[in-house]
Amino acid sequence: MLASYVPLLILIALVAISAVAIVVLSHLFSPTRPTPVKHEPYESGIPPLGTARERFDVKFYLVAVLFIVFDIEVVFMMPWAVAFRQLDILGLGVLGGLLEMIVFVAVLLVGYVYLWKRGALEWD
Amino acid sequence: MNGATPNPSVASLQARFGAAIGRTFVSCGDTIVVVARERSHDVLRWLKETPTEAYDYLTDLTAVEYRDREHPLEVVYLLWSLSQRVLLRVKVELPKEKLLEVDSIVDLWRAADWLEREVYDMFGITFRGHPDLRRILMWDTYAEGHPLRKDFPLRGRFSRAEQTRQALAGAPEANYSLEELSIAEAYHSVPGEMRERLGRQGRPQGVE
Amino acid sequence: MGLNSHAAAGIIMSPNWITARLDDLVNWSRANSLWPASFFPACCAIEFMATAASRYDISRFGMERLAYSPRQADVLICAGRLPFKLAPVLRRIWDQMSQPKWAISVGACASTGGIFDTYAMVQGIDTIIPVDVYVPGCPPRPEGILYGIMLLQKKIKQERFLDPALRVERLLDDEGMFLPPAVVDEVSEPFGNSVHQTRSG
Repeated sequence: MLASYVPLLILIALVAISAVAIVVLSHLFSPTRPTPVKHEPYESGIPPLGTARERFDVKFYLVAVLFIVFDIEVVFMMPWAVAFRQLDILGLGVLGGLLEMIVFVAVLLVGYVYLWKRGALEWD
Repeated sequence: MNGATPNPSVASLQARFGAAIGRTFVSCGDTIVVVARERSHDVLRWLKETPTEAYDYLTDLTAVEYRDREHPLEVVYLLWSLSQRVLLRVKVELPKEKLLEVDSIVDLWRAADWLEREVYDMFGITFRGHPDLRRILMWDTYAEGHPLRKDFPLRGRFSRAEQTRQALAGAPEANYSLEELSIAEAYHSVPGEMRERLGRQGRPQGVE
Repeated sequence: MGLNSHAAAGIIMSPNWITARLDDLVNWSRANSLWPASFFPACCAIEFMATAASRYDISRFGMERLAYSPRQADVLICAGRLPFKLAPVLRRIWDQMSQPKWAISVGACASTGGIFDTYAMVQGIDTIIPVDVYVPGCPPRPEGILYGIMLLQKKIKQERFLDPALRVERLLDDEGMFLPPAVVDEVSEPFGNSVHQTRSG
């Protein structure tokens, strides 16, 4: 059974080798000519003015966090979907599996309705 | 075509301002009125604010120097009435022996802001009362003169090497406006004399 | 660091089979993935857009990824007339590009000032940055631009990494000039029909 993982290990080894090789070879063959201007931030060819730290709207953070939560929900759904036919929950067979997933989704649905009503999905 | 019917505003102008209105003529369908320099602001304000005239759109503001050097410089105002769909061209003649100065109309049409800056940059005509009269096409410290004047040589007054040197020494960020700087929260990192110039323009909210 | 810094440090390394193969490998990789730093002041940019689009396609040269940051760019393609007001911007972008870098000047205005022999236009960007390939035309056809790119590829393939004259940062001198004033004046002399355009006085 372990033999089926050998191609994966070979792939990992090749990826690691090529990543390292790219970086090492670039360093070997790169002409390094540092000048003061090269270390300054790029601002369309003019000397940089002001700081790059700006305040931005919290809606971006909210969308990112909500994505993570519901993405993990989907992640949990995937192995469940793969093993669905072999499930035998509470002696009910696939019906039990379905009920279990419905419960799972229902819990998350409560949270979804809450954030919807609280206005976290408002973009403007 | 000459001799076509002029814009009715001409008659109203002559009735209202009398001697301040100089010659008027029609050229290629456009009505042109020459106005005395001292009354130009009054005339233009009247043209904008009178309901029967209502020239609410400043199409263009430019200047002309003719090949005939005796001819005075002209500042040309192209006015359009959005409601009546009528064009009027108003000209102010500036004899070259006198000071090249005319009243700014930024308080009437905001569009005149940059248009007058361009006329100043290219012809050297100053506009009294302009909030920020500085060069707009050439860089702020351009020292060769006013390029669209007839006595300005095509290739500029300095040698190519000198022009290249001055261009490379130019600081493009010196042309920022106050709004841009306050957005970048960079008002305090600009050089002192730039802050002074911006201070003369007045400060927006949020910059102490 | 790197092999070329060893050469610069004075360790005598004569060209041999290994350095030749390394040159081939490195030059082939560089020539076939030239990411353009697009600097498009004016009309020649339209022809460059046509070159980049599907009919003429710079993607087959590995150039489809336009690098808007000079750090990631290999070749500065200046397509269009350059006003004096924009000259410090071009110079700064060129300075901020990392080695190895090349420059292609596309069109008559970028190469010589073109029809704009006036007070406002740089008479050729080679008075400001070092240029490798000039593409004539007003504007050049996409085939012309592609020919210029292929010329640059040929030039890259002839480079030898042991050559100390390569990859030298040519910065502005103490007076803030790239070329000596006499040279700038000489290359900016009017030629062709410009000689007859002398509105002055």
